[in-house]
Amino acid sequence: MSDGNGGILKAVDLHKVYELGKDNLVHALRGASLTVRRGEMLAIMGPSGSGKSTIMHIMGCLDRPDRGEVWLDGHRVDNLKSGALNQVRSRDIGFIFQGFNLIPTFTATENVALAGEYAGLARRQAKAAAVKALRDIGLGDRLDHKPSELSGGQQQRVAIARALVNGPHIVLGDEPTGDLDTATSQEIIEMMRQINTDTGTSFVLVTHNPDVADACDRKVCMRDGLVTEEEVCT
Amino acid sequence: MRTFRNVFRRKFRAFLTIFGITIGIFALVVMGSLAEKITLMVNGGTRFYADKVTLSQGANGGFSSSPISVDTIPRIQALDGVQLASASVGFTLNKDQGASFGMPDLVEGNDLRGRDLESFKLTYAQGRELEPTDEDKAVVGADMVKKLNARIGGTINVRGRDFTVVGILDKTLTVPDTTVDIPFKDAQSIFYNDLPDLVKSHLDPSKLATTLTIYPKPGVDPNQLAKEISDKYPEYNVIGPAKFQEQVTNSTRIFTAIVFGVALISLLVGGLSVINTMTMSVFERTREVGIRKSLGASDGRIVRQFLAESALIGALGGVTGLVLGWLLVMAANAAGASSGIQIFLLTPRLAVGSVGFAVLLGVVSGLYPSWHAARLNPVTALRYE
Ligand SMILES: Nc1ncnc2c1ncn2[C@@H]1O[C@H](COP(=O)(O)OP(=O)(O)OP(=O)(O)O)[C@@H](O)[C@H]1O
Ligand SMILES: [Mg+2]
Repeated sequence: MSDGNGGILKAVDLHKVYELGKDNLVHALRGASLTVRRGEMLAIMGPSGSGKSTIMHIMGCLDRPDRGEVWLDGHRVDNLKSGALNQVRSRDIGFIFQGFNLIPTFTATENVALAGEYAGLARRQAKAAAVKALRDIGLGDRLDHKPSELSGGQQQRVAIARALVNGPHIVLGDEPTGDLDTATSQEIIEMMRQINTDTGTSFVLVTHNPDVADACDRKVCMRDGLVTEEEVCT
Repeated sequence: MRTFRNVFRRKFRAFLTIFGITIGIFALVVMGSLAEKITLMVNGGTRFYADKVTLSQGANGGFSSSPISVDTIPRIQALDGVQLASASVGFTLNKDQGASFGMPDLVEGNDLRGRDLESFKLTYAQGRELEPTDEDKAVVGADMVKKLNARIGGTINVRGRDFTVVGILDKTLTVPDTTVDIPFKDAQSIFYNDLPDLVKSHLDPSKLATTLTIYPKPGVDPNQLAKEISDKYPEYNVIGPAKFQEQVTNSTRIFTAIVFGVALISLLVGGLSVINTMTMSVFERTREVGIRKSLGASDGRIVRQFLAESALIGALGGVTGLVLGWLLVMAANAAGASSGIQIFLLTPRLAVGSVGFAVLLGVVSGLYPSWHAARLNPVTALRYE
C-alpha cells in the first residue's frame, strides 16, 4: 500500500479489542479507516465510547492495533520496533491532551524543553527551542512558572508549545479544550488555526465542542468503532 | 536539579526515607571506624612480626608475663638459622590493669641488642632514643604524652619510680603509641619488685625477661624457624608472622561480622524504605510517565530518570549519615584524647565506601520501581487519573 493522494497520516481498517475479562470483549475499533490530508485541520466527533481516543492513540503510535495499518508521511509505522516508535513520537507527532498534561514539578520552559531532549537535542538547545516556542505562543513572561501557577488556558498553551517544539508533521489533540471555558476555548482554537495557517502543520482534534469542529477544515464522525462522514454527529 | 525537585515533591516522605538511610550509614561509619582502628593496630602488629619470631612463656597462647631467663638466649642463638635473640621485659603501666577497651598502656624495657636488625623503625617527634647506658630515662609513645603529662626533660612516674623523659615518639597508630620505653635493667627491677614474694625467692632479677625477640639469619623463613623453635621449646609460646596473622584473624573476625551485620541491616531497612518510596512515587506519577512516553521517552530514559531519583535519595542519606558519624567519631576521640584512648579511625576509604554504598543501595532499591514505570503502557498511563 502506498500513499498516493497527499495523506500525511492514514489509518487503514483498524481493529482494536480490549479484553475486560473472560467473555467480556470490548470492540473499540471495528475496521476504522481515516486519511488526514497534508496541512488540514480535521475534527473527529462522536459519542462517548465510540473509539475516538483509541484511534487517536493508535494513529499517534502510542498504541498498536490488533489489525490494520498506520501510514505516516508515506511510511508504515504501526509495525515499527518500539525504539523507532519513540523517535516517531518525539519528532514527527505532537500531542495535546485534555487538561493535566504538564509535569507539575517542572516549569513551563522545562516542560517544553523535555520534548526537545527526548527528540535528541542537547539540554541547552532544547531550552533555547522551548523559550522560543513559548514566546511564539505569547507566554514569554511565564517561562519559569510551574503549571500550578498558570491558568488552564495558559497550561494548554504550554502544551501546544510542547507539541510544536520539534516541528512535527502533525499534532493530535484529544479534547484539547475539554477543561476550558468557552472564551478560553475560543482563544485556543484560534491559536491552533493560526499555527496551522502559518506553518502548515496538520491538526487532528478529537472534540465534543461544535465550535472546535466548525473552526476545522473538515469533520468526521465516529460511531461504534467506525469512521463515518455523517453530517449530524452526537 | 530537576531530579532534586522530583525527590522533594513530597518533602516529608523524602526526609523520612533519606533519614532511614542516614541511620544505616551512620551506624556503618561508626562501626567501620572502630574496625578501621583495629585493622590499623593489627597491621602494625603484622609489620612488627613480619620478619621475626617472638618467644614468651606459656604454650597455651595468649599474652603471658611469666618470666623467662636470659640464659635461654645463648641456647637459642646456637640454633641454625638464628642470627640473634634479644630480651625484653614488658608489663602494664598500671599494676592492677583489668580488662579494658582498646590497647592497655604498656611499659617495656629492651636490652637493645637487636636494635640494628629491627625493621620496624620508630621515629621521634622530639628528643632521642634510649641508649644502653641510660638509667632512669624514658621514651614516651605519642598517646602517652597527654596522659602522663610528659615533656622532654620532665619526669614521669612508672609504678612508683621516677624517670626523666628523653624522647617522644611519632604517632604509629599501633602499639608503640601507648607504650613507655625504659632501660632494660630498670624494667627488670620494677617487674621483679612487683612479683609475689613466693616467686621472687627463686629468681634473679638481672636474668629476668618476659619476651625474646629472635631475628632469623638472612634468607631464613621466619615461619619455618618459629616451627623449629616451637618444637624444641614446647613450653614456650612461639609466634612467627603466620601464627600472628592467624591469631589476629580470629579476633578480628568478630568485628568484621559486626560491621557486615550493620551493613546488612542498613541495607535492609534503608533499601526497603527506598523501594516503598519509589514505588509510591511511580504510582502517583503514572500520568507523568504516560506524558513522557507520549513525548517519545524510551524505556531506558524512564528507568534512568527514576534510578537517578533513588540514587539521589541514597546519596543524600549517605552524606548525612557520614557527616553525623564523622561528628560522633570526632567527639568520641576528642573526649578520649585526654586519656589517650582513641578508639575510632574514620579513613578516607571508609568515608568514600559508605557514601558509595548508600548510592548503590539507592540504585538497587530503585531498580524494580523504575523498571515498573518504564513498562507502563503509555495509553493506560495517560488514562490514569
Ligand atoms: N484500556 C481499556 N480497557 C478496556 N476497555 C477500554 C480501554 N480503553 C478503552 N476502552 C473501551 O473502548 C471503547 C472506546 O474507548 P475510547 O476511549 O476510544 O472512547 P472515546 O470515543 O474516546 O470516548 P470519550 O468521548 O468518552 O472519551 C470504550 O467502550 C472504552 O470503554
Ligand atoms: Mg476519549
